[in-house]
Amino acid sequence: MAEPRAPGAIYDLGYQSYTGPRRGRAYVIRSLVSYSFASAFGAGRSDRAKSLPSLIVATVYMLAIVQVSMASATGMVGLIRYAWFLQFSAFLIALFAASQAPELIVADKQQGVLSLYLSRPLKASDYAVAKLLALVAAMLVVTLGPQLVLFTGRVVLDASPWTTFRAEWTKLFPIVGGTLLTSVFVASIALLLASFAARRGYASAAVIAFFLLTPAVIELLRAVTSGAVKRYSVLVHPIYLISGFANWLFDIEAKRRTVIGRADLPGAVYFDVMLAVSTVCIVAFVRRYRRLEA
Amino acid sequence: MPLISASDLTKCYPGVTALDGLTLDVAPGIIGFVGANGAGKSTFIRILLGLLAPTSGSASILGYDVRANALGVRRLVGYMPEHDCLPLEISGTDFVTHMGQMSGLPFGAARERGAEMLRHVGLHEERYRLIGSYSTGMKQRIKLAQSLVHDPRLLLLDEPTNGLDPEGREEMLMLIERTGREFGIAVMVTSHLLGEIERVCDWLVAIDAGRLQYAGSVAAFTERTERLLVEVDDDATAFAARLRARGLGVDARDAVLEIVLRDDAVYDVVRDVAAEHSVPISRLEVARHRLEELFRAPAESTHG
Repeated sequence: MAEPRAPGAIYDLGYQSYTGPRRGRAYVIRSLVSYSFASAFGAGRSDRAKSLPSLIVATVYMLAIVQVSMASATGMVGLIRYAWFLQFSAFLIALFAASQAPELIVADKQQGVLSLYLSRPLKASDYAVAKLLALVAAMLVVTLGPQLVLFTGRVVLDASPWTTFRAEWTKLFPIVGGTLLTSVFVASIALLLASFAARRGYASAAVIAFFLLTPAVIELLRAVTSGAVKRYSVLVHPIYLISGFANWLFDIEAKRRTVIGRADLPGAVYFDVMLAVSTVCIVAFVRRYRRLEA
Repeated sequence: MPLISASDLTKCYPGVTALDGLTLDVAPGIIGFVGANGAGKSTFIRILLGLLAPTSGSASILGYDVRANALGVRRLVGYMPEHDCLPLEISGTDFVTHMGQMSGLPFGAARERGAEMLRHVGLHEERYRLIGSYSTGMKQRIKLAQSLVHDPRLLLLDEPTNGLDPEGREEMLMLIERTGREFGIAVMVTSHLLGEIERVCDWLVAIDAGRLQYAGSVAAFTERTERLLVEVDDDATAFAARLRARGLGVDARDAVLEIVLRDDAVYDVVRDVAAEHSVPISRLEVARHRLEELFRAPAESTHG
């Protein structure tokens, strides 16, 4: 308990009214994005809040560095594979979304902070958009970042970096575009699912369940079906979807024996489905918040 | 220009009318907004913040229509909700700074004003602690700090003394009074306890079941509700008649007289009349109708 103070002692400086600039709605949204981006990594929070995001970030960068080092040690730049990396880290990306989407939106609802945001000069839909941007930006750190490490490794390890860069730089388009769409895809699903949960734990469970149970159900379905249903079922499986999209993006022919190879769907279908799912989730998510506005 | 203006404001929920044709104009100052729980206070505040659309009617704050210009209103208003609204995992200073930015203040200004507001509410030393470790009283005070950080023209405080111990209530009321008097910020404070807030308020708005019961100065309200109870060991009816003859409003109930306490001169009249006729007074007490009693009075009379 603090020691009792004389009533006047607390305020001895007097009140100064604020005459400085007051920024508009765009600034408020920007502030919310950067604040939420930082809190997605537990900045300014307890060590416990930092632990899972740091672990995931450390893992994906470690994987990228290991791949680059292996390529360097063996002299085989072919070991650096962007598509494989995106496919391999898809589950970690989903895990990141499962743990941080609830931090970004469910905590505000659970603790009542949302009502303070809504009393500020921004709309409820602005809040939703800001949270989406923040989560996508945070996810780019775990998707785009490692890919840039791979790209840099690929260029620097070569005997003539400049020539390699000139040959490789167009890969930056699929690298940026691919990780961006993957991040938006996973983030929008995670946020929509989390927006239905009253507590962070439930929200995380729902997102994890989605990324684990959907594949399980699809595998079951694939075991008992054949033909078109079996071929198209890969589009409902989030991890296969990301894999198929990555193959298409980096112009890789899927191996015959793999699920995606056997499905033999045109690559653009994966892209279309991811784009469509993301759009639907974003619209539904923002709408859920817009209802809060009078 | 009125601070808050409402015109025939009605909000109906299925089966419930939360606000029923509320019309009022409030001048700047400290306004007490009283009513029993569920009387429509929070509904009114949510409409003022543009978070709830009224079924009909309109409202404005400092000339801004709350429907047409909700964001403009929110720039001018600071809001302290009744319920929990604090993130528990960040420090007090980070939270208040962030809330300042959320009202449009640049980072540096938000940080500076945030620190200043935490000092005003007496949380200077605790500012780097996580909010989750704050006591109930400290949480109420940081709620006040975040509502002040952007230097609003009007503060809407929803039941700020709820859940506080008597000492905490006293401190909170002192802070409110200080904010209204010395900071020059208009304050509307809701409470279901009239006695608690009336001494810091200039104006009083009382609602019950969504209907306006009273809007005016605290002094006039006190005049309307304060009673001097007098018990005499003599013929109470005759004494009451003599007091009435001197212009006092008197209700006689058995041996107890209830006299409307318009001003302090009432005491003199009672003393003089009692002395003139040698009426022994056995009890003299200032009492007031409880708020609920005041509200329920018309309903009770219709039900007999």
